[in-house]
Amino acid sequence: MDKEASQLERDHIHSVYEKIAPCFNDACYKAWPKVQQFISEQERGSLIADIGCGNGKYLHISSQVYKLGCDYCFPTVESARSEGHEVTVCHSLCLPYRSECFDAVLSIAVIHHFSTEERCMRAIKETARILRVGGQIMIYVWAMEQNRRRFEKQDVFVPWNPSPPSCSSGEPCPRGVQKSILHKDKELALNQPCHKLDGTSEVHRTARSSSCGGEKKALWTALEKSRRWSLFSRSLDSVLGVGDQRHQEDLIRYCSYDVQLNELNRGKKAEKSGDQLAVRRQLKIDHHPKQGAFCQPQNERRPGSSLQRAVSERTPTTQSRQQTWLRYHHVFKEGELAELIDCHIPELYITQSYFDHANRCMIAEKTEMWKI
Amino acid sequence: MKLLTHNLLSSHVRGLRPGGGFPLQIQASEVRVRPVPFNAAFVARLVPRLRWAALLEAAESLGHPSELPPEPAADYEGDESFLRRVHHILLEVEVLEGVLQCPDSGRRFPISRGIPNMLLSEEEA
Repeated sequence: MDKEASQLERDHIHSVYEKIAPCFNDACYKAWPKVQQFISEQERGSLIADIGCGNGKYLHISSQVYKLGCDYCFPTVESARSEGHEVTVCHSLCLPYRSECFDAVLSIAVIHHFSTEERCMRAIKETARILRVGGQIMIYVWAMEQNRRRFEKQDVFVPWNPSPPSCSSGEPCPRGVQKSILHKDKELALNQPCHKLDGTSEVHRTARSSSCGGEKKALWTALEKSRRWSLFSRSLDSVLGVGDQRHQEDLIRYCSYDVQLNELNRGKKAEKSGDQLAVRRQLKIDHHPKQGAFCQPQNERRPGSSLQRAVSERTPTTQSRQQTWLRYHHVFKEGELAELIDCHIPELYITQSYFDHANRCMIAEKTEMWKI
Repeated sequence: MKLLTHNLLSSHVRGLRPGGGFPLQIQASEVRVRPVPFNAAFVARLVPRLRWAALLEAAESLGHPSELPPEPAADYEGDESFLRRVHHILLEVEVLEGVLQCPDSGRRFPISRGIPNMLLSEEEA
């Protein structure tokens, strides 16, 4: 099960971020104010780890503390480095730090990319491991219940468009990944060819099977709504600049359709598998209709899949210039993150819990564990 | 990669004895020294957090002997000369190209353009 989860994350998160990294222009976005405040309130000389730092949006805050960022995505880490930040490349399930060496840890918009509850738990435990007793962790994840949109399911693919028409960054982004760090010693294939996942199944939590095909419906709206959706989908990650603030006020309706995950990841072969762990996922894909068709990660293309048919049916002529990538998210229900921590991570004690711009947010303190 | 960062890094290859992944041995092919503004209070706060022997060893391996004592003196917070030397070795010396080697497993992690790549394969992690 873990292998499949890892594969899904590679396909629908890591490879997507590698593709969108060149277009991820942080000039368009500001940091979440409460995250900035959390960093600024740390004592002088504190050591702070930003897990999943991206291109270093929080690493410039406060010269009184030492910040160390890390991310799985090479291009974004390089971008952070080019700003002068201290960064490493690593996986958040295996952080390359000594235990209990940080005063504070940030996990902003990271945990929601893990595709099983077990991996979410492991990721949070790993951040707790590197935190000293008395230190604080801040966690932000996407909320399922939001003020201005509604996720009908918890496990979703959300499109990300690299170049909405209003973005001042201008040109559509080039395709492909600019991989600039080479493995000098052991090769770790980041963009792995799509593996046929024989037998075993999808990764996640509860799932129901559903049929696809005839249930799809799509609304083709004006280009203005396209832009708003693109901005909105990214607004869940960070606060937009003042100039784009008005677009966050729009109430956006989405049409969504259900697609079986096994249609995306594997062929009919898996359905015939006798693997008792085979579980079908019903995933909701919120898509913006006019942003070109969905562009599946390149190793996801399966001719004849229902999603691929939807893609080809709706492909506008501008697809070659604009692409939309799908990112996997598990959006958290109210209380879900707290329950995960309370039940499975006794070394963390939740001190604050709140809702911030469509995120579930939590601050927890590392407590001393006594062995009896 | 600054030496303060190095002092926090550890290998977590599967099967290591506890603490066996620290400190990583540095084999540097390109090192840069760049001035950083000095803040005595900031550095003083960092000192107790450091693995001191690992810091001295790392500085030595880069050909930047730190002229630091085997252990910080009890009154180090008021010793500006000491704090400036700590500041220099922690924050002004950077490894741009090289390799970090796990002391127990021998696993090598490349440093490229100042960025350590600490990714492990699924079999190793």
